[in-house]
Amino acid sequence: MSRRRSKILVVSALAVLLLAWEGAVVLTGAQASWPFPSGIIRSGFAITADGTLLVALAGSLQRVITGFLVGALVGIPTGIAMGLLPWVNLAMRPVTESLRSIAPIAWIPLAILWLGVQGNAALFVVAYAAVFPFILNAAQAARAVDRNHLRAARALGAGPGLILRAVVVPSTLPTIFTAARIALAIAWSSIIAAELALGVKIESGGRSVAGLGQLMVATLYVKRDVNALVFGMLVIGLVSFLIDAVLRRLRDTLLPWARR
Amino acid sequence: MTDSILKIQAVRKTYVSVRTGDTIEALAGIDLEVPAGEFLAVVGPSGCGKSTLLSLVAGFTQPSAGEVLYRGQRVTGAGPERGVMFQDYALFPWRTVLGNIEFGPLARGVALTQRHARARELIRLVGLDGFENRYPHELSGGMRQRCALARMLANDPEIWLMDEPLAAVDQQTRTILQDELLRLWGDAARRPGAPTVIFVTHAIDEAVLLADRVVVLARRPGRIKAVIDIPLPRPRPAQRGSPQFAALVAQVWDLIRDEAAKAIVEEIDR
Amino acid sequence: MSPANVKVTHGATRAGRARHLLLALRSVLVSVAGIVAVVLIWSLVGRLLAHPSLLPSPVAVLGALRVLLAGEIGADILASIVHLAAGYSIGVVIGLLLAVLCARFENLDVFIEPVIEVLRPISAIAWIPIALLMFGVSESVPIFLIAYAATFPIFVNTLDGVRRLDRLLLNAARSLGASGNFIVTHVVIPGALPYVLTGARLSLGVAWMAMVAGELVGGDAGLGWRIMWYQEFFAMDKVMAIILVIGVLGFVADAALRGLQRRLLGWNPVES
Repeated sequence: MSRRRSKILVVSALAVLLLAWEGAVVLTGAQASWPFPSGIIRSGFAITADGTLLVALAGSLQRVITGFLVGALVGIPTGIAMGLLPWVNLAMRPVTESLRSIAPIAWIPLAILWLGVQGNAALFVVAYAAVFPFILNAAQAARAVDRNHLRAARALGAGPGLILRAVVVPSTLPTIFTAARIALAIAWSSIIAAELALGVKIESGGRSVAGLGQLMVATLYVKRDVNALVFGMLVIGLVSFLIDAVLRRLRDTLLPWARR
Repeated sequence: MTDSILKIQAVRKTYVSVRTGDTIEALAGIDLEVPAGEFLAVVGPSGCGKSTLLSLVAGFTQPSAGEVLYRGQRVTGAGPERGVMFQDYALFPWRTVLGNIEFGPLARGVALTQRHARARELIRLVGLDGFENRYPHELSGGMRQRCALARMLANDPEIWLMDEPLAAVDQQTRTILQDELLRLWGDAARRPGAPTVIFVTHAIDEAVLLADRVVVLARRPGRIKAVIDIPLPRPRPAQRGSPQFAALVAQVWDLIRDEAAKAIVEEIDR
Repeated sequence: MSPANVKVTHGATRAGRARHLLLALRSVLVSVAGIVAVVLIWSLVGRLLAHPSLLPSPVAVLGALRVLLAGEIGADILASIVHLAAGYSIGVVIGLLLAVLCARFENLDVFIEPVIEVLRPISAIAWIPIALLMFGVSESVPIFLIAYAATFPIFVNTLDGVRRLDRLLLNAARSLGASGNFIVTHVVIPGALPYVLTGARLSLGVAWMAMVAGELVGGDAGLGWRIMWYQEFFAMDKVMAIILVIGVLGFVADAALRGLQRRLLGWNPVES
């Protein structure tokens, strides 16, 4: 099968599937309780046009990025130190391993208690989720720095500062970029989870639409709009797809030598 | 020659490059006959299609034009009568030394006791006693090599197709393995029905030392530049360092020096 | 090419052995010191900066844990394990099946892979509202989420493993007289096994997270649900005790799979 032909086949198969879905729901008159394509588009258009979606999306994204940056700021230096210095590794590994096994979302009650329901509780969960990919990958990358590169740099007269800047950082960067992709993916799914949990806690309507998760809970319990729910889910998927695409592009531009 | 075991007739092989979409001619018009029991070496600069030639005989790929005939039959796939020893060993990493060696008999449905007996015999023959239960990653390069050789021999193939089998080991090991290979093949006393060997290498001295004939390939496209008879007396190990040996090496080297130099430069854009 | 593994024999002499022991002792001490430091900081922060009901002290959490272990937590652990076992096995079976189908039939692959690629960025979490709508608050919510989350890693890794199978090894098998099913059972399956097991471990990791989130938001039993339950009563010591239990169980599950990996893949030189 040629590439173009298989593409046409896939697209037409998907189109048939969507039409069948639409037809099945409309013909059985189940529009109220089942989502269907044209309904999803209509609801999606509505919540996009009145701005609720964009406000929620902006709130979620802002917290994801803040949490992600906190995770990177804490995780990368910790990881590099663990990778380069054996005693730091010994002291930190059991701690990070045991903390890592805790699902970030489990902290939500405590985070609410410490940081309030509005948004910062979710921020804590996100930062917590994002920090471990950074620690693990930075440590692994720092351990894998070619000993001969270090020796070569030292033989060429480089001091510790220069070695860190010119050898350790560049050779760990590709792996840290991978870590960033993993961390951002986890962060994005954690923010939704945290906001959902927060939303479920305060079911009393649109008052607290601070992020996509809360918006979805409100849609579920207050508006009972199935189509908007599916649309929200698709938006969540699209955002994580875009995040990954952007980071991959960024890696190829910033680290051309690490391109695979 | 009427008793040729292998006939390669007007064989061409072209590839389409995945990256550029260009058509690359790996082999252009190869004609070659190999009599049964001959030790044939194939040398040439990198990119001359040595390995492609071997793949065609092994049946891993099919020629774009022309025919490869083995015992008069067109080669359409791999088969146990044509044993292959790969450049990077291609040992199964999840099978032990014993497990690798008995793979061929196992695949052909030989009973357990028989195939174990044969495998142990081969393990002794190639000097891997005591390493039966090691995994490939626990072996040195030379030991992996022996294991790959024993695995090939376990099927008692009529023809040995060897793709730079000694390229990845150090010089001392290489010398020892050359001698052992000759011994296994029947260097000193050639018996009737002895195996035929096609031995691909980039080391000219190795080709001259081992072979009855040396085929020199040219590159871009890959074609036969010369076929040189090696009239050195056997057993061969004694010939290392003889003036006649040195002269033959020089003769072959003269044939491929220019091409090898070009290959170094062109290697960059491959 | 990886160099041959050369086993280094340590400390044949008595002095060498003693030195070895001393070094091992020191590294254990440093590790313990790390944990002790964290516990100290935790209790100090609790005592100096926060009200004990906001951040219960380590002693209080241990006490709560003792109470929990003596009584009600068994049912919650059991419920969580049931959710996990059901959802994980559904997800792994679906993922494996799809991967094998994709690898075996190229025409099918053309359809399955785009669907997977569209669904994959939509995390299990994003399905929670839909799942709540479909199933209501019930055990079906966590089971669905776990199954959904577990499907992708094992699918992607298995397919990758089958596709990455060294052409050379397949050629070698063929030239040794192997064909058809024999190649599948003796080359394809053992060759892909490391990837399958890595996928299984990754699947378990995301399944574990999906379990906690699913129970917490949409379940009616299990450890995640119990966290929210104690939060209603403002029993933060018990909340933290359950968090600890979740961490320990998650660690044990991962270690078990890692052990399995090591057992089955003794031949594999790459430690993952």
